[in-house]
Amino acid sequence: MKAKHQRLILALAALVALVGAGLLAASALKDEAAYFYAPHDVKTKGVEPGKAIRLGGMVVKNSLKRAADGVTIRFDVTDGKATVPATFSGIAPDLFKEGSGVVAEGSFDAKGSFVATNLLAKHDERYMPRELEGMSYNESTHEMKAER
Amino acid sequence: MATQRFVGFSIGKMPYWRCLARPAKDAALMHRFANPARFLKIARPLTGWLFWPGLLLLLAGCACGLFLTPADYLQGQTVRILYIHVPAAWLGMGGWSGIAIAALMQLVWKHPLAAVAGRAIAAPGALFTAICLMTGSIWGRPTWGTWWEWDGRMTSMLVLFFLYLGYIALGNASARQAQQGGVSNVTAIFGLVGAINIPIINRSVVWWNSLHQGPSITLRGSSIDGSLLWPLGLTLLGFTLLFGGLVLMRMRAILAQNKVEARMQRLARG
Amino acid sequence: MNQWAFVIAAYTVTLAGTAIVSVVSWRAMRSAETRADHLSDRT
Repeated sequence: MKAKHQRLILALAALVALVGAGLLAASALKDEAAYFYAPHDVKTKGVEPGKAIRLGGMVVKNSLKRAADGVTIRFDVTDGKATVPATFSGIAPDLFKEGSGVVAEGSFDAKGSFVATNLLAKHDERYMPRELEGMSYNESTHEMKAER
Repeated sequence: MATQRFVGFSIGKMPYWRCLARPAKDAALMHRFANPARFLKIARPLTGWLFWPGLLLLLAGCACGLFLTPADYLQGQTVRILYIHVPAAWLGMGGWSGIAIAALMQLVWKHPLAAVAGRAIAAPGALFTAICLMTGSIWGRPTWGTWWEWDGRMTSMLVLFFLYLGYIALGNASARQAQQGGVSNVTAIFGLVGAINIPIINRSVVWWNSLHQGPSITLRGSSIDGSLLWPLGLTLLGFTLLFGGLVLMRMRAILAQNKVEARMQRLARG
Repeated sequence: MNQWAFVIAAYTVTLAGTAIVSVVSWRAMRSAETRADHLSDRT
């Protein structure tokens, strides 16, 4: 076996080991590196009240309500599998609206409602001009269909 | 020979299937460009041919992206940042992939130009990674409501930027020590090890819940509407050609410097 | 319009960065190659 082939095999072996180690570390970090909890994660794993976390998901349509004091808003956050109620007092970002993504920073209160101290709008991977707004979107085929 | 005529392509005088069957023969093609003079004969005219069309394409793409496409239904005008953010991300990651390939060629085949290529890629790669981070931040403020969040995608991209800085520092330090303007083997190993970050950046939005949205363009299709998507092709191609031009320029600078230094040393020795 | 300010900032950063690195690379290449060419003239 030539020295060149030895080096090639050595380098490839090192590369494979490296990628394996990286993937292993990444999968071990899966939960730690998650930027936010989805409502389903909250329901299955349980998050104690008062612990500062981020909660991410979609704002449920027709759930957004303004409280009597005029600053507090109430809305439901869903990931399709579970839904969690949330409140927020303050100025929400422009892109925060019903039916679109949100990441809320805050903690759960004793009653299981999420009290947000900060709201971030989470954009999804769809980009389209205004004329197409309101069309339904098929996530698996990326197809747009006009809604009646 | 019938096979060869049927498929109809070959490398040099060698039919393609012999390259596949005998990897040792591959080296023949690769080592044709090991000679700097032979490389420069191609690199000299190619530099301009990559750089100027690249510049023209990316400026045209930017102009189309700024003035001809409609605003996004949700983000409004800020969607236009996409046309520079995506090529910058692609080149930042592509640049490091290039460094890793060059490192492999340097370590395994001891290809003399690979070390030079790795060093030449580093600065443009770092530039585009920085552009990607900055444009992303500028886009994030109006869209997400924050300049920066430590989510998986952003953090791994920032790590890539620091990897570039480390590689540049290591490369500059080692290039003087009789490496003929290229990077040392240690720097090449660093480039190879750092490549682990590339798949992590790519999968970060899939593995971990992140603030950054998932991939818009996948093998199944694109979730960017065609009327918004088309200038992205122009800027992607434009920035990529320009990147190639920059890398060739930097390689030529290093090779010319080598020539000067070699002569100096010969004169000093008398 | 407020949104345009962000767009213009992003494009300015990108084009300025690309221009600076392009000019620096170009000039480094020119000066190095000129020096290398003069070298072979003299000897």
